[in-house]
Amino acid sequence: MTEHPTSFPYLTCMLLSPVVGLTILLFLKEEWDFLIKAVSLVSAGLSLALAIFTFVAYDKTLGGLQFVEKYEWVKTFGITYFVGVEGLNAPLLLLTGIVIFTGVLTMWELKNRVKEYFIFMLALVTGVFGVFMTYDMFFFFLFYEIAVVPMYILILIWGSTRKEYAAMKLTLYLMAGSGLIIPGILLLYSTSGLFTFNMVLLHGVKFSPWIQKVAFVMMFFGFGVLAAVWPFHTWSPVGHVAAPTAVSMLHAGVLMKLGSFAILRVAMYLCPEGFVYWKQLMAFLATAGIVYGVFVGLAQTDLKYVIGYSSVSHMGIVCLGLATGTVDGLNGSLFQMFAHGIMTALFFSAVGYIYDRTHTRDIHELGGLSKIMPVASAFFITAALCGAGVPGMASFWAELLVFIAAVKVYPVQGLLAIAALVVGALFALRVVQTSFFNEPNPKFMHFEDVSPFLGLPRMILIGTLIFFGFFPQVMVSLIKTAVVPFIQGM
Amino acid sequence: MGSCDPVLLGCLLTVFLPLSAFALIMIFTWRYHKLSMAISLVASTIPLLIAWYFFFTLDVKQPIIYNFNWLVSDQVKVPFGFLLDPTSVLMFVIVATISWLVQIYSIGYMGGDPGFGRYYADLSLFALAMLGLVISSGLLQLYIFWELVGLASYLLIGFWYEKFSASEAGKKAFVVTRFGDIGFFMGLVFLTLYFGSLDIATVNSAALTAKMPPWLITTSALLIFCGIMGKSAQFPIHVWLPDAMEGPTPVSALLHSATMVAAGVFLLTRLFPLFAASATAMSVVLVISTITLLLSSTIGMVATDIKQVWAYSTVSQLGFMAMGLSAAGLAAGTLFPGYYHLTTHAAFKALLFLCSGVFIHHFGTNDFFVMATQGGRKLLIPMATITIAALALAGIFPFAGFFSKEAILGALAHLPNKMWLVLGLFGAFLTAYYAFRVIFVMLFPKEKYDKYHLETDPHAHAPAHSHGHGPGPGFTHDDAHIHPDAKPGHEHDESGHGAGHGHDEPHGVPWVMSFPLLVLAGFTLILGFCQGSLEKYLLGESAPHHIEYGLLVSAVSCAFGGIALAWFDWGRRGAKCVGFISYVPVLENFFIQKWYMDHFWRWFLNTFIYGIFSRAFTYNDRRVVDGGVDAVAFSTVGSGRLLSFIQTAFLQYNLLFMVLVLAGVGIYLLMGR
Repeated sequence: MTEHPTSFPYLTCMLLSPVVGLTILLFLKEEWDFLIKAVSLVSAGLSLALAIFTFVAYDKTLGGLQFVEKYEWVKTFGITYFVGVEGLNAPLLLLTGIVIFTGVLTMWELKNRVKEYFIFMLALVTGVFGVFMTYDMFFFFLFYEIAVVPMYILILIWGSTRKEYAAMKLTLYLMAGSGLIIPGILLLYSTSGLFTFNMVLLHGVKFSPWIQKVAFVMMFFGFGVLAAVWPFHTWSPVGHVAAPTAVSMLHAGVLMKLGSFAILRVAMYLCPEGFVYWKQLMAFLATAGIVYGVFVGLAQTDLKYVIGYSSVSHMGIVCLGLATGTVDGLNGSLFQMFAHGIMTALFFSAVGYIYDRTHTRDIHELGGLSKIMPVASAFFITAALCGAGVPGMASFWAELLVFIAAVKVYPVQGLLAIAALVVGALFALRVVQTSFFNEPNPKFMHFEDVSPFLGLPRMILIGTLIFFGFFPQVMVSLIKTAVVPFIQGM
Repeated sequence: MGSCDPVLLGCLLTVFLPLSAFALIMIFTWRYHKLSMAISLVASTIPLLIAWYFFFTLDVKQPIIYNFNWLVSDQVKVPFGFLLDPTSVLMFVIVATISWLVQIYSIGYMGGDPGFGRYYADLSLFALAMLGLVISSGLLQLYIFWELVGLASYLLIGFWYEKFSASEAGKKAFVVTRFGDIGFFMGLVFLTLYFGSLDIATVNSAALTAKMPPWLITTSALLIFCGIMGKSAQFPIHVWLPDAMEGPTPVSALLHSATMVAAGVFLLTRLFPLFAASATAMSVVLVISTITLLLSSTIGMVATDIKQVWAYSTVSQLGFMAMGLSAAGLAAGTLFPGYYHLTTHAAFKALLFLCSGVFIHHFGTNDFFVMATQGGRKLLIPMATITIAALALAGIFPFAGFFSKEAILGALAHLPNKMWLVLGLFGAFLTAYYAFRVIFVMLFPKEKYDKYHLETDPHAHAPAHSHGHGPGPGFTHDDAHIHPDAKPGHEHDESGHGAGHGHDEPHGVPWVMSFPLLVLAGFTLILGFCQGSLEKYLLGESAPHHIEYGLLVSAVSCAFGGIALAWFDWGRRGAKCVGFISYVPVLENFFIQKWYMDHFWRWFLNTFIYGIFSRAFTYNDRRVVDGGVDAVAFSTVGSGRLLSFIQTAFLQYNLLFMVLVLAGVGIYLLMGR
């Protein structure tokens, strides 16, 4: 892979902007409510601006790894600070930027322990940015853990519904995943003979087949836990339900993508033979997740559980795309990571607004919300339609690509996944009907609709979904620049 | 293909004007009713002008094709383009015209509704999707607009979303059509993977020149037909269309009779060479469409809700079109008869619905027996135009339906097996009967009517006076849906005309509502005489007409027979006002229960989807997966607790244990030596 160094450290700025933000927050008084939020917003906005910049300024004709920064850190162990942007991670950096920015805006009404909340949120997002941009396995794992830990505290303190249980479950699950990842990484590190964590260099090493098989399956399950691969998904709906709004947004929108991205970036990239050996299993688990998620979601009555299971199903589509190992499948898979991230963020931010008012998420207790808060409902309904795979939204294209690729490689699984779309539609519309249509619940009649300011983050998310729904080529042409060499290198 | 090509500009305007109208209204102006209406009207008038301009001036004998890249992945390439050929331009004209007329009509019909702005936004969305569908150049693009049409339909059926029956009907429509669309999508995937192109012109020419393997043609044609079955409401997934009548009546006229449901038949004509290349596929189409024709005609005979009658009539006429096309495909005919019937049907069925809309608006009920007893025939313009439309539907000379039905029956007569012709004639007979049942009841109202509506649901007509603010008394959520054995019309009468139409005085007929009726009546009158020129336009040449007198006589006698029977049962002085079918109570009940199709699907959904899969998977998730994880967690905690008993802090036990262990080790070492 060709590397193009940068003249200005854009990526480091993107990474450090939340860090600087949270350092400033440390010195602010708890009572300076507005200032705290403003500082968080500015630091998140700066990251978003840089993410947009790298997304737009990435030179598609040049290809390769751009905006590269590379500094030796611990020479003895071969650890380098190595960050860069290519077609694989540019969409995800953009996704993270959008979700954190809108997440901060969504939490503007927060009253409880504002300062600590934003500190942890910025810490979390630093980790996420780090995972997406780094090309050094040590830093990869480091950032990965940085992203996971604040989640525990955020859910435990600001959460709702069974929050202790959910936070503990989530953390234990992810730690168990890490327990598989570390041996996998160390196995590759020690057998490469290069004493480097640099992924690009390690990619050049031809590991023996059994090492690849062992390392791949360890890392697949380890990262797969975070990507909610069936049957290791149960932490995710529980976690979504317990987490506060913006954390759910980050969690479902971005964190789950860390897992699927890592499967692609580390496991598939370094162990291509392992991938070939295990890909049938991957496709099977992915399809099981797709089908299973929609059916279980059909029986849920808590809005956030419904979204949680839709995430399980949609992440199954991501994994199915990865399992095809074709250009179309990978394009679709990465596009789906992006689209699903934006979509779930929209879902959770819409639910968050409603929950903050009504203090219930039971779909039977809600009802007729379209009458009470038409705009807030429109946000949720848009997300639900997107989830049901309506064209004109980004996820339609992503699913289209994955399904076509999947039918080609795995006809049975592909057709099953397509058939699950019917249930997916039923499942999305059922929720919309019960909680947003029909007669309004008189208890909630006095609530006001979303104010324009609070509507802004949701509009940004909808705008993104629709923009990429109308112009999918903007995304796909960028992803393709990295996917084509990726497949060739496998 | 310069940037200033007027044809391309026209196509682009056609798609982007309604799109921008939708976006503008939804984001900014939905609170301002008049402004939203104006935006939407502008955005539908310009496509109307473009459509007629294309129709009269554009030479499309050689198809005009524009293609741009929309999405280029690796093997998957989705172009965005326009294909203008006679097939698409004619449909373009139909859609643009009826869409425009319905928008005008809705000014009167929907006036004062709190959701007026949203209504026009949804109509614009529909216009965008439907026009885009019609002039798509590729199948995938067509599929995308096809899904968007489904979205618009969902939004419009559930327009009065406070009503449970409406929101339920919207959901049902979306899910059921999606069920068919899955097949459509799989068909497209097969075509992409094994043929490599989804360009309509390429696919058709490949099918014509046998460049495609036969198995692929049959498989993909059958799969695509699944989508057609969903959208054009063919048996057994027609069940959504009658329920879709929950939407406002102009919507029923536009989407659920004239244009959207005809999209399926349009796709059949669009891909006619592909379908015609597979006899298997065409035979399946023929069987399914015949069943559809008979099923819906028989249900239409016993419905008491005027919109239900026309809804089932729509289903049956769609079946009739598909019959015509499949017969033509099997007997080496042309697509003209089916397409011609689509055209005439669009005019007279939209007319039927819009007329009924005037009555519904006026009397606040959907039950035509009530309309009749309250003096429905005094509304002269709608009464006259509905009669014209019914004559056309029955197939009486000189109205449009006569000519197009003749054409289809002619195609059926070419089949070697005459059974299909007989069934088609029988369908025509039933059609004439149920259409004139409505007309005679309206024209010659009697003092009292038969058993199966007035006494069965006493509260059904309450909305005639209280004007339907929401569901009537005793209408709980589960009533309407879990027990579909409600009498036809029952669940629809209750809230009659939806919310927001509270008027104590009956409406007059404003000109915005009568004008579209007159225009459509005009089309119904003249379209019959355009047969030759339309055929020339569509096929390039006009086949010489052999008038088959035997067929003509039998068709006309079937139509008159149906009308005469309707007169005998419902019209004449001293008529018993019970349908002839009530002499066979078993059959009558079977028809009233809509052939038990709703029961079947409800059972299917409850048993398989909710009952088995959803329950089992959820149970598995709670107990097995989660339970397993929790078991690991709790056993870890438990074993810790067990081990903690060792930590007694009694020094003597610890010392004892230490000594014992050391002794054990010592013995082991000694023995080892």
